[in-house]
Amino acid sequence: MAARGPQTAQQRDRTDQRAELALGALASAVLLLIAFMIAFVFAKAWPSFAHNGLAWFGPGGNLDEQLTAIFNSPSDPSDYVYTLHAWPLIYATALITGISVLLGTMISLLSAMFIVEFAPGWIRSILQPVVRLLAAVPSVIYGLIGILVIVPFFGNNVISGAQKESVQFVIQLDGSSILVGVLVLTVMITPIMVAISVDALRSVPPTWTEGAAALGVNRWRALRTVGLRAARPAIVAAAILSTARALGEAIMLSMVTGSVAFSPNPLDGVTFFFEPARTLAAQIVDGAEGLSVKPFGQTMYAFAALLLLSSAFLSFSGWFARRSMRKYTLSPR
Amino acid sequence: MTWNRPLAVVAALAVSASLAVPAAATAKPTITMSGSTSVAPLAALLAKKYVAGCGGCVTFKLLQGGSDVGISDVASGRVTIGNASRDPKPSDPGGLVFNKIAHDAVCIVTNKSNPLPGIDEAGVQAIFGGSVRSWSSVPGSTASGTIDTFVRTPASGTQDAFQKIFLSSTRVFSGASQKASNGLIQQSVKADPNAIGYVSLSFADGLHTVPYKGVACTERNAKSGQYGGQRNLYMVTRGPATGATKEWIKWITKSSAAAAVINTEWVSLQ
Amino acid sequence: MSAHAQTRNPAGLIGRIRHAGGDSWSLGDKIGLASAWAAGILLCLIAASIVLYMLYRGFQYLSLEMIFSHPEAGLDQSKSGGFLDPLEGTLALTVIGTAIAAPVGVGIAVWLTEYGRPSWLARAVESGVEIVAGTPSIVLAIFGLLVFQQGFFSFLSYEATPGVAFGRSFVAAGVIMSLIALPLIVGASREALHSIPRHVREASYALGKDRISTIRRVLLPASRRGIGTGVALGMGRIVGDTAIVVVLLGATLQTDPQGNIPGLSFLQGTGSTLTTYVYNNSPVGEGGSPEKAYAAAFVLLLIVIALNFVVDMITRGRGPSWTR
Repeated sequence: MAARGPQTAQQRDRTDQRAELALGALASAVLLLIAFMIAFVFAKAWPSFAHNGLAWFGPGGNLDEQLTAIFNSPSDPSDYVYTLHAWPLIYATALITGISVLLGTMISLLSAMFIVEFAPGWIRSILQPVVRLLAAVPSVIYGLIGILVIVPFFGNNVISGAQKESVQFVIQLDGSSILVGVLVLTVMITPIMVAISVDALRSVPPTWTEGAAALGVNRWRALRTVGLRAARPAIVAAAILSTARALGEAIMLSMVTGSVAFSPNPLDGVTFFFEPARTLAAQIVDGAEGLSVKPFGQTMYAFAALLLLSSAFLSFSGWFARRSMRKYTLSPR
Repeated sequence: MTWNRPLAVVAALAVSASLAVPAAATAKPTITMSGSTSVAPLAALLAKKYVAGCGGCVTFKLLQGGSDVGISDVASGRVTIGNASRDPKPSDPGGLVFNKIAHDAVCIVTNKSNPLPGIDEAGVQAIFGGSVRSWSSVPGSTASGTIDTFVRTPASGTQDAFQKIFLSSTRVFSGASQKASNGLIQQSVKADPNAIGYVSLSFADGLHTVPYKGVACTERNAKSGQYGGQRNLYMVTRGPATGATKEWIKWITKSSAAAAVINTEWVSLQ
Repeated sequence: MSAHAQTRNPAGLIGRIRHAGGDSWSLGDKIGLASAWAAGILLCLIAASIVLYMLYRGFQYLSLEMIFSHPEAGLDQSKSGGFLDPLEGTLALTVIGTAIAAPVGVGIAVWLTEYGRPSWLARAVESGVEIVAGTPSIVLAIFGLLVFQQGFFSFLSYEATPGVAFGRSFVAAGVIMSLIALPLIVGASREALHSIPRHVREASYALGKDRISTIRRVLLPASRRGIGTGVALGMGRIVGDTAIVVVLLGATLQTDPQGNIPGLSFLQGTGSTLTTYVYNNSPVGEGGSPEKAYAAAFVLLLIVIALNFVVDMITRGRGPSWTR
C-alpha cells in the first residue's frame, strides 16, 4: 500500500468503520451458513423427537432391534415406526469422549511443557512436525491400525476365556471395545491440544517465569504454576476443540469399538473396559446407507441434532470458563 | 480500486462460456451411475467390457456413496442408474424400477483355524440368534471358548438377505458385533479364531466357508442354484429403462460376454 | 531454538540458583518432570510406529511408477494401475479447502478479538464455529449435498438433466472441506491474537495508527506462528477426511472433468483422494489390494509432511519481541 500522510482522526474512523463492517459481514455470512445447517438438521430430526418425547433419551429395549424395526417400516407414512430409546448411544458417547479427553489433556499438557521447556533442541525440532503429522493422519488409517493390530491383540491375548464366558449371553468380548476406542481416540485428539498449548505456553511473557525463578522456584514448578495459569484460556480453547473432535469422530470408532448398542456396566470390574459400545457419531455413519428410508433417516438426523446440542453446550461452558480465566493474562478483553 | 480491465473481460468471458458449455449436448450418450459400493466394482468391470465391445459408443460415469445415495439420486433424476445391493423397501421413493443384474452368494464363514464341516438351518439360527454361545456345543468345530458373531448393520442389503434366507423369523443376537462392510467382517473373522460371520462370496478369501445344508458355498454351486443363500444386485432406473440405458441393461442380462464378467466373482442370471 | 532457551534462562541463572539454594526439586516436581519426558517420547514413538507400519506393509509396492500412473478399474487392483488421480485429488482438495478456510478463518478471528460488536453476535459466531467442530463430517457432507444440488448451483457441477444439479464436484467438496478446517484456524488464530498483550495495541494507537493498520502491521505478523498452527491443523483435518469425499466428490477412481474449459472443468468434475483410495483398497474396503493401500498411505504421510513444511516456511519467524 502506498505511504499515506498522517491521517485525520476522521479518516481513521472511517477506514476503521469500513473494516469492521467488512469483517463483521464475513463473520455473519459464515454464521448464517452454519445456522442454516443447524436448522436443516433439526428440521429433519423433529419427527423422531416428537414421536418419542423425553423417553427418546432414556433406556429401554434393545436399540439395535428398534433401529431394525424403524428401517423396516411399512410404506404408509402414518404407519412409520419411530420408537427409540437412545440411552446406550448417549452413555457410550459420554463415556468414551470423557475418558479420552481426560487422558488426552494430561498427556497433551505434559508434552507441551516438555516441548516448551525441557526438550533438548534436536528433539524439539522433531516433535513439532511429528505433532502436526499425527494431526493429519486420516481417521481411516487409525481405524485400520486399530482393527489390524490393537483389537486382535486384546481379543486374543489379553481378554481371558473366563472373562468372555462370564458375559457370553449378553455380549461378546472380541477385543473391539471401549478401551481400544479410548486409546486410539486419545492419540487422535492429543496433537490438536499439544499444538495449541505449545503456542500458548510460548506466548507467556518470559519475565513472569523469570520472576518465579528469582524467588528460587525450579523450572518445573515455575512453568506449572505461572506458565500454565497464564495460558489457561488458550488451553481451555484447545480442550474444547479436542472434545469437539472426539464427539464428531465416527469412522474410526465405528471400526474399533465393536459397534454394539450396549451400555458397558462399570460394576463388571476390569471387564468393563473390554465391553463394546457404539457412539452417536458411529451410529450415524453406520446408518448412512439407509437414509432414504424416511423414518430411519429422521432418526439418524436426531442423533446428529443431539451432537450439535452437545457441541453448543460445550462451546458455552468453554466461553464461561475462559471469561473468568482471562484476568490472569494480559489479553485485550 | 483499480480493475485490470482486459483481465476482467477475459474472466467474464470464461465464466459465461463455462456456464453455457455444460448445456450443450455431447455427441455420445452418457450413462451416470451412482450408489452401492459393493456393486461398484462389478459395474466398473462391465462398463469396461461394454465400451470395448461396442467401440466407445457410450461414456460411463461411475460414482459411489452407498445404495441409499444411489436410490435417492435416481429418484430425483440426477443420475441415470442407481446401483443398489438391497431389495426394494416399501418406503422407497415411488416410480422406481429395480432391474436385477446379478446374484451374489452369501457365505457363512469361520476362521481358518476352525474349519466347521457344515451347518444346517437350525444351527445357523441357534448361533446367530444367540441361544448357543460356546463353540464346544457346536458339532464339528475345533475351537473352544465363546463364539464371536459378526453381522452387518440393519441398513445393509447383505444383512437383509441373510435375515430373510438364513434366519427367517429368528432375531439376531443382541450382542453380535455390527460391521459396516463385507471387508470389515472379513478382517474381523480373519483375526479372531473364535469368530463366525457372513460375507459375499468374493470376500471369502483367507477364510473357511461353511457348507450350508450340505452344499459348499462355491461359484459353481451358486450358479447351479444348489446353494440356497443368494442375494440380488440391482440397477435401479426411474421408470422402465429407455434408449442407451435399456441397451446397456439388456446387454448385462442377456449377453454372454457380460455373463463371463459376472461369473468371476458373482453369479449371473443366465 | 537453543538461543531461545538461553534468553529464557539467562546465563543459566535458574540452574545456578537451584544449586545455590540447595535442591529445590521436591519429589512431586521430579515425578512431573519425568512424566513430561515420558509424554514427549511417547508421542514420537507413536508417530514413528504409524509411519513405519505403513512403510513395512506397503514397501514392495512403493515405486515412482505407482505415483505417476492412473488407477484402473478392476476387482483385483493389485495387478493394475497406480494412484495418480487420487494424489491429484488430495492436493487439489487440500489447496482449495485451505485457500477458502485460511482467509475466512483469520478474518473471523480478527473480528472476534479486535471488534466483536454487538457482543451477542460475537458469541453466536464463536459458538457456531465450535458447533461445526463437533459435527461428524458425514452430516456436513449431506448438508453440502443438499446445498449444491439446488438448481442455482448447477454451474458448479455436472448436469444429467437440465435444471437438476449433480451436486458433486471439487468445488462442492472444497467448500465443505473448508468448513471442517475453519474451527481449528479460528481457534488457534483467536488464541494467538489474545496472547498479544494489551500494551502492544495501546502503543500502536498511541503512535496514531488506526485499528485496521494495527491489525495488519502489528498484530497479524506477531500471531503468525499461531495462525500457522491453525492452518496446519486444518489442513490435517482436510487431508484425513473420507465421508465428504465419498458423498461430495463421488469417489470416482479417476478424476473426471466436466465441461470443456481445462481448469474449470477439473473443478466441476469428480474425483477421489488418497484417503478414499486407501480405505477402498485396504482390507476393509472393496478394492482388494492392501499393499497398494499401505503404499498410498505412506505417500499420503509424506505429502502431509511436505505441506506442513511449506506452512512452516511461510509463517516462520523469531516470534514477537515481547516473548523474547
